[in-house]
Amino acid sequence: MSEPGVPGTAAGAVQPSSRRLDMDALVGYILLDGVLLSMALVVAGLFWHWLKTGHLVLDYQISGMNLFQLVGTEIREAVFGQLRPRLLVNLGIAVLMLTPFLRVVASVVYFVAFLRNWKYSLFTTFVLSVLTYSLFLRS
Amino acid sequence: MPNSATQFFAGLGVLGVFAGTMGALLGIGGGLIIIPILTLVYGVPIHQAIGTSLCCIIATSSGAAANYVEHRLSNIRLGMTLELATTVGAVAGALVAAALHREALAILFAVMLCYAGGTMVRRSLKASATEPEATASYTIRRWPLGMIGSGVAGVVSGLLGIGGGPIKVPIMYLVMGVPFKVATATSNFMIGVTAAASAFIYYSRGDVQLLLTAPTAIGVYVGASLGTHIMRRTPSRWLIRLFSAIMFYFAIMMVWKALRGGFAG
Repeated sequence: MSEPGVPGTAAGAVQPSSRRLDMDALVGYILLDGVLLSMALVVAGLFWHWLKTGHLVLDYQISGMNLFQLVGTEIREAVFGQLRPRLLVNLGIAVLMLTPFLRVVASVVYFVAFLRNWKYSLFTTFVLSVLTYSLFLRS
Repeated sequence: MPNSATQFFAGLGVLGVFAGTMGALLGIGGGLIIIPILTLVYGVPIHQAIGTSLCCIIATSSGAAANYVEHRLSNIRLGMTLELATTVGAVAGALVAAALHREALAILFAVMLCYAGGTMVRRSLKASATEPEATASYTIRRWPLGMIGSGVAGVVSGLLGIGGGPIKVPIMYLVMGVPFKVATATSNFMIGVTAAASAFIYYSRGDVQLLLTAPTAIGVYVGASLGTHIMRRTPSRWLIRLFSAIMFYFAIMMVWKALRGGFAG
């Protein structure tokens, strides 16, 4: 995608290796793929809903569940043959919300395993733990 | 609220495109545009407007940051460092938001907008001719102040659903000495994570409504793709002026609405 190992760019530091997949490219791929998958699910779900009902209004409320409980419920419904357009839209929104989360997971792995940069490993791990905490919160 | 369902859907889509374009251009995520329109025009309760806005900010951030990161406009190490403070703030803000008064939220929002807008205008008038472009080399200054500012941006984001961009951009640009375009691109990169930290909490409360979020998010993604292309071709000083103008406009709208008797719902 982008030429590897361009020194002195916005990242501020020269990457130690120019052969490996660099951080910018990795982050870019994750964000782009996440948002594209999410949009595809939402559009497919809305289109299906429109075919079934002739309108686009999804009157449906989620409450009192965290993201994992909700996705779990939806997937159970899907397995038992109750796949509905709403499920696709919901999954799309879930994928959207999880995209930044995945990006942080990937940067932790990248800093720990590839760059062995302990300062940024620590920073990204901290951000990941705060995000994970908020993911399991129910209020 | 507009009467026909198609009109409703299309309206949200158009709102999304506009918000996404502005969000990607200015690093503000579009929450500044989505929340006032949802509350003022559609009569959506402010907590649901914020839930929708947070999801849209993630869409803007992911869509725009993918492009900015690829073009190396985002300083991702700066972003990841400031995220330390901003995610903690975002979780704290989202946790106390439900207990807060709506009018108080709106006034707080407006005060913050005016402050950021005023500072930007002053700076843009002083230095408009010599504004450094993104490619210029720069040294990041005043890290501690930047971290504190990012923490505040996180709290405000969790409270008001704006992703913190309207605070992060001025902090990076005015305080830390980062060129404006790098500040907006880095803000775009960060606000996805800030918004996600609060979005999960709003989601579990039932404040992310598919009815509102689906059409708006699609529009936002289209707008963000547009915004990234416009941003890379527009001189910084025009972006700074646009940024300030948007801040003032919405500050006035929010105050007017709060004083006129609060928010519907």
